[in-house]
Amino acid sequence: MQLELQADDFSDRAVSPFHELGAYEALWEEQKASFKSIADMFAKREGSLPSDFVERSRAVSYANDVHAMLRDAGVEHYGVRIHVAGDYPERLRVADHPIELLYFQGWWDLVNSPRAVAVVGTRKPTDEGLARTRRLVKSLLADDFTIVSGLAAGVDTAAHTTAIENGGRTIAVLGTPLLKAYPAANARLQREIARNHLLISQVPVKRYSAQKNPVANNFFFPERNITMSALTQATIIVEAGETSGTLIQARHALKQGRKVFILESNFRKPGLKWPHTLEERGAIRVADYDDIRRHLLSVALH
Amino acid sequence: MTTSAGTSFPSRFTRIDDLTRGDHNHLLPEDECLFFGDYTARKGWAHSSTNQLILNFKIPVNWRGTNRWPHKQRAIRTVADLFSARIGPRFAELTLVPVPPSKLKTDPEYDDRMMDMLRALKPPAGLSADVRELVTQTEPIGAAHESSSRPPPEAWESVYEIDEALTGQSPRWIGIVDDLLVTGCRFRAMSNVLSRRFPEARITGLFIARRVPEAIDFSDFFDQIED
Repeated sequence: MQLELQADDFSDRAVSPFHELGAYEALWEEQKASFKSIADMFAKREGSLPSDFVERSRAVSYANDVHAMLRDAGVEHYGVRIHVAGDYPERLRVADHPIELLYFQGWWDLVNSPRAVAVVGTRKPTDEGLARTRRLVKSLLADDFTIVSGLAAGVDTAAHTTAIENGGRTIAVLGTPLLKAYPAANARLQREIARNHLLISQVPVKRYSAQKNPVANNFFFPERNITMSALTQATIIVEAGETSGTLIQARHALKQGRKVFILESNFRKPGLKWPHTLEERGAIRVADYDDIRRHLLSVALH
Repeated sequence: MTTSAGTSFPSRFTRIDDLTRGDHNHLLPEDECLFFGDYTARKGWAHSSTNQLILNFKIPVNWRGTNRWPHKQRAIRTVADLFSARIGPRFAELTLVPVPPSKLKTDPEYDDRMMDMLRALKPPAGLSADVRELVTQTEPIGAAHESSSRPPPEAWESVYEIDEALTGQSPRWIGIVDDLLVTGCRFRAMSNVLSRRFPEARITGLFIARRVPEAIDFSDFFDQIED
């Protein structure tokens, strides 16, 4: 369904971000809506905006609701990026189901970091895993990398906090809407990143908040991993279990033509199959930061 | 601050709406302001196409003759191409009026980049660009506001004057053109002056970028850059 014919008046064609975020939220109202169903819809009508599929009054009503929900939750200042409008990161188009709209808070230009890597791993790391995360992040900062992670417990939290404590730049890609911190213990860290770094969320506010059963929102977590891999030139897995969401990111990173590094220690853990499987598919086993550095700094950076 | 590829800009303008109007505190809900992207540079960090385009476009005139100058000239052409492509057939109806440079013509820092850009517009075949410096600045901003880096719209309005020699055919649709939308102060002053003289005309603000509140002034970048 395409509601309007394309106008040739630049003023009529100008994108209203507020209107678009309302339309995007309305598209998610459909119970079976997914990143795939929405991406498929846009793939059929290239150059479309969310508002091309939603009545204006409905879009505005959703926008007002979402804006009030965010404001009531203390999200004072936020923005959106929309495919076909200004400052949308084209790198996101490599995803299987590219996102049409994302929310953000903070320092948008970090998304254009000439050097950016994702540092990810389990929510329940060993002490050794945490120490490795911190060492790795410090080395990456020394080479001016922006540290991207998912603000989850464990490795993600250590990656963000190490970056901040050492004067680096960090981007958090949330599996929740901007108004929710998960885990709740990271609410403060989330605010700090929103203020002085960059917070990104592709999760629709209204749809997420309307779910009675929180499990129904779990699928948003792996989806954000796909965005994280698309945004970065490489994903580094510090430590992960056999069923970790991190592995989804690794698979997508490889599919998207991004590098994946697996710390050597993972290969030594008895019973772990994923390091070997990923290595067969193209992930790179690394003993130390110098190995990573060789691979990342020898190629032209985007 | 390298060159910006025009191709990395979208084919549509973005408009100031309920999400962003609060960032530009002199704008009114009925103001129509359109722009290409957000100026978001902070802490000596400017990597987006929008940030680079703005910084290059605003390279100070006393850099003429340095190796940065060609970047400014290229940015002027890029901006002209962006506006030309977006405006397209609407050149037929639109009168483009630049916001006068903040320095007077007699000032060594006077920068005519906006008129250079408007002169470089390329309307579609059969149309011409109606570019008129309808508003001129008569004197430096009043002494009362000299200490303030952000004088209010009234202060600008008091030094803006319509150039009656250029009013020949009354404009129907005026595009007030400026590079960066900050508080919206000068847009409001221009809009007030123009709508008093041409009450029937529709007025639209056309900007390269809007400045997000956390972004720092471009002058901080120019101070850091060495030739």
